[in-house]
Amino acid sequence: MAHTFQPGLKPRAWLPLLLCLAAAPAEAQSPSANERPAAPLSSLSGYMDVQFVNPSNADAFIDFRRFVLIFAHRFSDRIRFVSELEVEHAVVEGGEDKGELELEQAYLDFLIDRRFSIRAGQLLVPVGIINERHEPPTYYGVHRPFVDTFIIPTTWFDAGVGVFGEAGRGWRYRAYAMAPLDAAEFSAEEGLAESPQKGSRAIVRHWAGTGRLEYLGIPRLTLGASFWTGRATAGAATSDPRVTLVEGDGRGRIGRLELRGEIARVFMNENDAATLNRLRALREGIDPNLASQLFGAYIEAAHPLTPFPAPREVVGFVRYERFDTQYRMPPGYVPLPEFKRSAWIVGASSFPDPDVVVKVDYTVEMNESATMKAPRAFSVGLGWWF
Amino acid sequence: MTRVRIGAVLFLVMAICPYAQERTATIRIAAERFRFTPDEIKVRRGRTIEFRLESDDTDHGFRILGTDIDRIIPKRGRGSITVTFTPDRAGRYVFECSKLCGAGHEFMHGVVIVED
Repeated sequence: MAHTFQPGLKPRAWLPLLLCLAAAPAEAQSPSANERPAAPLSSLSGYMDVQFVNPSNADAFIDFRRFVLIFAHRFSDRIRFVSELEVEHAVVEGGEDKGELELEQAYLDFLIDRRFSIRAGQLLVPVGIINERHEPPTYYGVHRPFVDTFIIPTTWFDAGVGVFGEAGRGWRYRAYAMAPLDAAEFSAEEGLAESPQKGSRAIVRHWAGTGRLEYLGIPRLTLGASFWTGRATAGAATSDPRVTLVEGDGRGRIGRLELRGEIARVFMNENDAATLNRLRALREGIDPNLASQLFGAYIEAAHPLTPFPAPREVVGFVRYERFDTQYRMPPGYVPLPEFKRSAWIVGASSFPDPDVVVKVDYTVEMNESATMKAPRAFSVGLGWWF
Repeated sequence: MTRVRIGAVLFLVMAICPYAQERTATIRIAAERFRFTPDEIKVRRGRTIEFRLESDDTDHGFRILGTDIDRIIPKRGRGSITVTFTPDRAGRYVFECSKLCGAGHEFMHGVVIVED
């Protein structure tokens, strides 16, 4: 007779387990208490990201961009806690336009089975490559891609509850119900970047749904598709516009060549977008000229520049991005050419340790405006993970 | 007499070696944020599994739930570790990363399916 070690309950055991999960001691499911290893119950990790940026249209600056501490605790093999506390821009001053102290993650996982588990709390939205995988050594370039800033508002997090697991043969999924976006923060220039409510007294007149499906069945290749849909908070329940984001991405390696790409598109009903523009114009005095669709995509290639393995590894990369925060406009609205943008980013990352990275890159941003010249920037970054 | 003894020893060694090889399955596993490759391994009950684990980025943990196996896989470029596991019962043995390795750490696990 087969013996199933936890967490590997049969599907029919899920329902009673869900009902008594909070009350039942996890140890009751274990083979025996004395088989339990003495692994640490609590752990601390973190990462840092400090940047020097010299843009063509402003003064050079140095910014302690992110300092993040990750705390995790294992109550049992079934119940775990993970949190991520981030200080952005080094200083947090109340009521002033300075840094931010953000609780990016703080959730409990109820591990039922590899195929089905439950997660609740402050969650990362499972959309795109960067949002759930944003430690500095894991991506090339001092800055995150523009697409993962304006179209997918990383780091995108909010309060929610959902399920995750593996469907077999390399398929992995997560699906959450989360607090919706704040339509009052949509912007013609920065798209959705400022619109997450971040679990801070988030208004939930309508729940948003999000999900991601990943395929990891082929070694060295990860393919993903994700979505977000929900009626964003706009001031009145009747005028809350539905915002839907669909995204696809892939990353893989051929020998020492690394490739990754991502495509994302945001949809809002044309009439809803027009209504939102009128509502915000009345409230704010200026028509925000919001689009009904946003679009972004990028492709990136990276290859070691030196034949040396760690700790003398230097990897060069090049990335091309297109991102348009006014891809389609509602009737009566005209897109501004400076928001139809593209960018080339070329640079290198040196890894004196696999968890420490020194980055340098040069960004050439372009737009279709004859008068508004897009900036260029030279950047240097330093990051680590432990 | 000495030749007979040497011959007997050689015979025994030759007889045991193929048996030992057959009883041990060597599985190479690559660890990276946030996956093990492969993450599903099937073996017959009674066989010894020799895991050879190597990381492609940061250091990870390798823990088999319900056992006392819990080891650190060193960072990329710092070698590999070998873990030996002999499941005595058929069933599913879940293994996971036991060292916090990033936002997707909880997704990093796999399973050894031991069949009769």
